[in-house]
Amino acid sequence: MSAHQSDSAVGLPFSAARASERAPSAVEEEVIQLFDQFRDRLLRYALSFGLSPEDGEEIIQEVFLSLFQHIQRRKPRHNLQGWMFRVAHNLALKRREANRKAARNAGESSEALSARFDSANPEEQAIHFQRQQRLRAVLRALPEQDQYCLHLRAEGLVYREIAEVLRISPAAVSVSLGRSLARLSRADGG
Amino acid sequence: MFSEYSHLSDEELVLAADGELGSWRAARVRAHLAACWTCRARMRRIEETIAGFVQMRSHLDESLPPVAGARARLKAELEALAQSTNQRRPIPAALAGRPAAAAGAALALGLCILFVAQFGSRKFWPASLRAAAAIPRPNLTPGAVRPVLKDQICRDEAGNTAGMVPASLRRKVFEEYGIGDAEPTAYEVDYLITPELGGSDDIQNLWPEPYSKTVWNAHVKDALEAHLHQLVCSGQLDLGTAQQDISRDWIAAYKKYFHTDRPIRFSGGLRRE
Repeated sequence: MSAHQSDSAVGLPFSAARASERAPSAVEEEVIQLFDQFRDRLLRYALSFGLSPEDGEEIIQEVFLSLFQHIQRRKPRHNLQGWMFRVAHNLALKRREANRKAARNAGESSEALSARFDSANPEEQAIHFQRQQRLRAVLRALPEQDQYCLHLRAEGLVYREIAEVLRISPAAVSVSLGRSLARLSRADGG
Repeated sequence: MFSEYSHLSDEELVLAADGELGSWRAARVRAHLAACWTCRARMRRIEETIAGFVQMRSHLDESLPPVAGARARLKAELEALAQSTNQRRPIPAALAGRPAAAAGAALALGLCILFVAQFGSRKFWPASLRAAAAIPRPNLTPGAVRPVLKDQICRDEAGNTAGMVPASLRRKVFEEYGIGDAEPTAYEVDYLITPELGGSDDIQNLWPEPYSKTVWNAHVKDALEAHLHQLVCSGQLDLGTAQQDISRDWIAAYKKYFHTDRPIRFSGGLRRE
């Protein structure tokens, strides 16, 4: 527990008097920019956990408030995207767990909660419907880790970033994606 | 790894589709695909499946709430957060270098928020900023003074008397209050009796004060301290009384010396009369 971890190694130009922190207004601006850039992707990812849009929005707010502190304290920023997804991932997991617990206490089935992601869009074209149903069934049967990998990849993260979010090795990511896409593809193509 | 005679694995196909292979391996896969209809057909199936998965996720887009409200709220919260970080006093920056991994700390903060949000309060303010009470616990922080005379206090500039508290002591204060894991920048380790009024660096005189938006926050206490210092130095108030009043209940002291029940808003920071 050394108190002298140096954050200044990040080496961003700044003129604030405090040596280890950046000026709040500049950080604020940057965080808003990142919000504009990443909000939809992070929120979609949070929603893929079967959370309500309200829960998802709350999580995203928390991600960016944490990001403010992260940047202001000049923490490593070589992979901010991965960092944001990791925080969102962990918050979404916690929230889903809390919701399930609350549902259990209220006597509801946890299936009712996780049904949100599975529920088909009523306007969905009939031609896609069966295919979607099949894919959903396979997706639901995949190990959770595999589902996370798919969703993160769909949000544009490369394997190295996915690995960082889930704290697994890049090799494990490629094994996971290979396995689950093959499974989905068998169900898809018949 | 890639034999020209055996087919590519699912993993290899996916890696190739995602551009995750190194140039040498990518070239081998391309060569195999050029030669092998079976693998090309599999590759195509995988691409179609990816498209199907993306299509399946499209309903997520439809459930995204409009961004404007969320953006405005974030902006307001960031401004408040930036302000409270900006205006803080004595010891702050030193806390920033705490060793918790960045993500860990942020996560702890996030989870903390989540925890509070779950228990009824749906306010979007980091919980760690709200968690600590505005008043220090008397058993932990009764207040402590150093032997000084009024003249010394009044001669010294505020900046000279407020020494840096060592990091180890700061950590002890956090631990003492059971917030060893809290986001360090969410708190100022404040003197209960300010050095400007003869307060000492003793742990009994230090407590974690949240930089929160609560009514009785660090900035309000700053105003009280400046006011008391001025009263003492102008001879209107006895130093001992000032020390006693601020250590017993600083909010009550504020109400007493400012003749008000609510903090007065000072434009442009602290009022120093």
